[in-house]
Amino acid sequence: MAAQFAGLQTTGHNIANANVAGYSRQQVDLATSRGQWQLGHFYGSGVDVAAVSRSHDDFLTSESSSAGSLAAMDSARLDQLKGLENVFPPGEGGMGDLTSQFFKALSDVSNHPGDLPSRRVALARAGDLAARFGVAGNALDQLQIGVSTSLKATVTEVNGLAQGIAGLNKQIAALKSLGQPPNDLMDQRDEMIAKLSQKIRVSRVDASDGTTTVSVSNGQPLVLGSVAASLQVGQDPRDSTRSALTMMNGPVATALDENTLGGGSVAGLLQFQNQDLVLGRNLMGRLATAVGMAINDQQAHGLSLQEPLGQVGGSPLFLLGQPQSLPHAANARDGAGAPLGSVSMTITDPTALQASDYELKAAPAAGTWQLTRLSDGKVSTITSGDVIDGVQIDIANPQPGDRFLLQPVGRAGHDMKALLSDPRDLAAAAPLVATTAVGNIGTAAVAGLLVTALPLPTPNATVQIAFIDETGGYSWTLLDSSNAVIGGGNGIWQAGQPIPTPPQDFNGFSLQLSGVPRSGDVVNVAPVAAAGVVTNNGNALALVGLRDASLLDGGNITDGWAQAIADVGVKVQSGKTAWSISSGVADQAEQSRSAQSGVNLDEEAGRLIQYQQGYQAAAKVLSVAQAVFDTLLQTTGH
Amino acid sequence: MLRISSSSAFDTSVANLQRRQQALSEAQIQLTSGKRVLRPSDDPAAAAQAERALAKMTRSDSQQRALDTAHSVMQLSESALGDAGGILQQARDLLVSAGNGSYGDAARKSIGDNLRSLRNDLLTVANRGDGNGRYLFGGQGSDGEPLKDAPGGVVYSGTSGAMNAATGEAMPLSMDGGAVWLQAADPANPGAVVSVFDALDRAIGELTTAGRTGAQVAQTVTQGLTGIDIAASNLSGWRAAAGETLNRADSVGSRLSQAKLDAQTQRSDAEDLDMVQAVSDFQAKQTGYDAALKTYSLVQRMSLFDFIK
Repeated sequence: MAAQFAGLQTTGHNIANANVAGYSRQQVDLATSRGQWQLGHFYGSGVDVAAVSRSHDDFLTSESSSAGSLAAMDSARLDQLKGLENVFPPGEGGMGDLTSQFFKALSDVSNHPGDLPSRRVALARAGDLAARFGVAGNALDQLQIGVSTSLKATVTEVNGLAQGIAGLNKQIAALKSLGQPPNDLMDQRDEMIAKLSQKIRVSRVDASDGTTTVSVSNGQPLVLGSVAASLQVGQDPRDSTRSALTMMNGPVATALDENTLGGGSVAGLLQFQNQDLVLGRNLMGRLATAVGMAINDQQAHGLSLQEPLGQVGGSPLFLLGQPQSLPHAANARDGAGAPLGSVSMTITDPTALQASDYELKAAPAAGTWQLTRLSDGKVSTITSGDVIDGVQIDIANPQPGDRFLLQPVGRAGHDMKALLSDPRDLAAAAPLVATTAVGNIGTAAVAGLLVTALPLPTPNATVQIAFIDETGGYSWTLLDSSNAVIGGGNGIWQAGQPIPTPPQDFNGFSLQLSGVPRSGDVVNVAPVAAAGVVTNNGNALALVGLRDASLLDGGNITDGWAQAIADVGVKVQSGKTAWSISSGVADQAEQSRSAQSGVNLDEEAGRLIQYQQGYQAAAKVLSVAQAVFDTLLQTTGH
Repeated sequence: MLRISSSSAFDTSVANLQRRQQALSEAQIQLTSGKRVLRPSDDPAAAAQAERALAKMTRSDSQQRALDTAHSVMQLSESALGDAGGILQQARDLLVSAGNGSYGDAARKSIGDNLRSLRNDLLTVANRGDGNGRYLFGGQGSDGEPLKDAPGGVVYSGTSGAMNAATGEAMPLSMDGGAVWLQAADPANPGAVVSVFDALDRAIGELTTAGRTGAQVAQTVTQGLTGIDIAASNLSGWRAAAGETLNRADSVGSRLSQAKLDAQTQRSDAEDLDMVQAVSDFQAKQTGYDAALKTYSLVQRMSLFDFIK
């Protein structure tokens, strides 16, 4: 009867705990009592409760934990990626659209170069574009802050769980000595390990004393017996704006990076921080640099409307965030803590830039450095002053063991500003005009004039190009402002090719002709007259022309935007796919585990009836025995 | 045999219901916004294509505006050149009448004065503005009015050539005033050029000078007519060129609107929703959700405990 009651009690326990996470179904293991030898026979003496055991499968439990760990990693990363995607909005109001609007405003300026309202609109659009970059940069900062905050909160939970597991290890080891497994405590510990796996991937080894050793993926024990190590979130030694994880095992600190963590939301957050967020910043920065530097460069080749007219060149329209070189925290420093070695970067060719950070450290050969492009791991060996991916890298006062993280464009968009507020500052006029002479008999006309240097090598000088034969041969003369000859030479023009043939330079221009010149025809390239600056739109046309120039990977700026949007889109898409796969696997694993360990209420109802009947039957036996005894007493009493 | 854990069965069913509800809500957002691609990750390639198409649309708009500016300038130039042709015709008639042998000095002077006022009208026409602060015949920029009275006759103060508009195809924003007014080619004298103002100024000078003989007058009239005819033919040549540019502007304009339409179509193809398909998908999802709700409420209600009395 006591055994049947134990069954009822266990069933009741199961029913009560049916919805407790991690609870393993318990069952009473009954064993027939040893028979009693009586009168030459063994007579059964009933039943004993051998044990109350939990229905549990170590493999299924650890499988479920580790699948859950991967799913948690993918889920944490996906949540952040969705935030990143919002920083790159397509369509109206997106950065691509604002760039188009800016070029549209420049086109309006080229229609009415002297019209101040048109110029004001163009400057306002430039301000919108720069502001949009700044907003996006702040949004990326917010994502970084979010990652750091989440990491700290998660690590606090991890430490709490590790302490909890260590405490349970102690209790279980103590109770285990009683000879029976403390099922509920073991369930609690398994559940804590499962929760821990959601945060950080762990492996477990059960010891014979009932304790469980929990290690992170690189093998370092997080919980050993009743002692728990602790995790800490600190600054990344490569980049102090990022967070990094260290494990403190007593006084011993071990750095944990996302590649060795292998799973858990902490790994997802670190992956996002160190890969996706970096890519986002660099994509943004490269686009900002491509547009900003091209516009600034073209501005410098034109004339503004400031007095004296015709003398004032255009000043930069955009301020871009400068390239950043971050010395490693371990680099040698002076007494004040400033690093001794330093690296400076100059962008020499914005069209060759890559959306990547770089790691720079000394190479084996003296004076050489190993530069690793972190986006794809491409390694090159350089010396100070070399140009890689459009960036000149200068290394000053290097110390042994110095390491640097280089971010050529990481801050470019974040710190972008529009500098000009006076509409006259927009350099719409070209400093030179090309004219064909009155008496020309050929069909040659000026198709385009590109100013390649400003200030012009020889200011206020005119270049006269006189064709001397019917096959494009010409002689050119450089005349100063009083028409005295100060230079000249000969050349040959070929259809479709500019005058002069590069790299030759007459006076900082490149002239395109349409039609065919005849011998005796003359083309003059002269400084724009002061009075013509107001109506000249030569440089405005060149500015508008930048929307078709190949600024990024051989494509124009629109292609660059579209590519960046697609890159981020693909990241999010593959993040979604990874998550849907890993969460599917985790669900499956959890189902298998719960199929083994979970409580089925119908089953318990069945058992309830079973034990109830058993109890009733046992009670009946008792009452029959009582009746028999009574009968015996009555019989003998007479 | 697989055991079913009751709490996990509830969890799974609830999770499935939520998934279906989420799918339904996403389908609804797509339907109400009319867009298939709301975020780049919905379809990265389509998002990139839509982005390019949007840039093309904006570019077509800006080129259309540049074209409108060029069109208006050419229209004004064409009408200015038409006006100039009319003025020259009047001048020609006046000059012919001056050859009348019965006219004395006074009559010729009166004709000369009339001619001078026509000449000044012509100069006004040559210096007409385009309504945007520039001159129709300002070439590549001029210091104030491009055609100025100067000792020795009217001179061109502009830079020769023409400004271009940012239309993608060469489209002038101005005409070369020197070539139009001062540099008509003289067919009888290759290489020489005729200025309409010089021709008129000479005739006016002769007609307003007293005491010219009949032969001198006749020569003045002949020379003046020759000059006017050469200039008029040059002007009508430029007028034809302006008309030609206007025609070209029309065809460039239709190409631009076609390009914009193509870009719109491209964008719509890339990111817009196929409504018929979407409505059908939505209904399928709705039916699925409905069925899931019904089975949930039916199956999860069943319990052996209901039967234990």
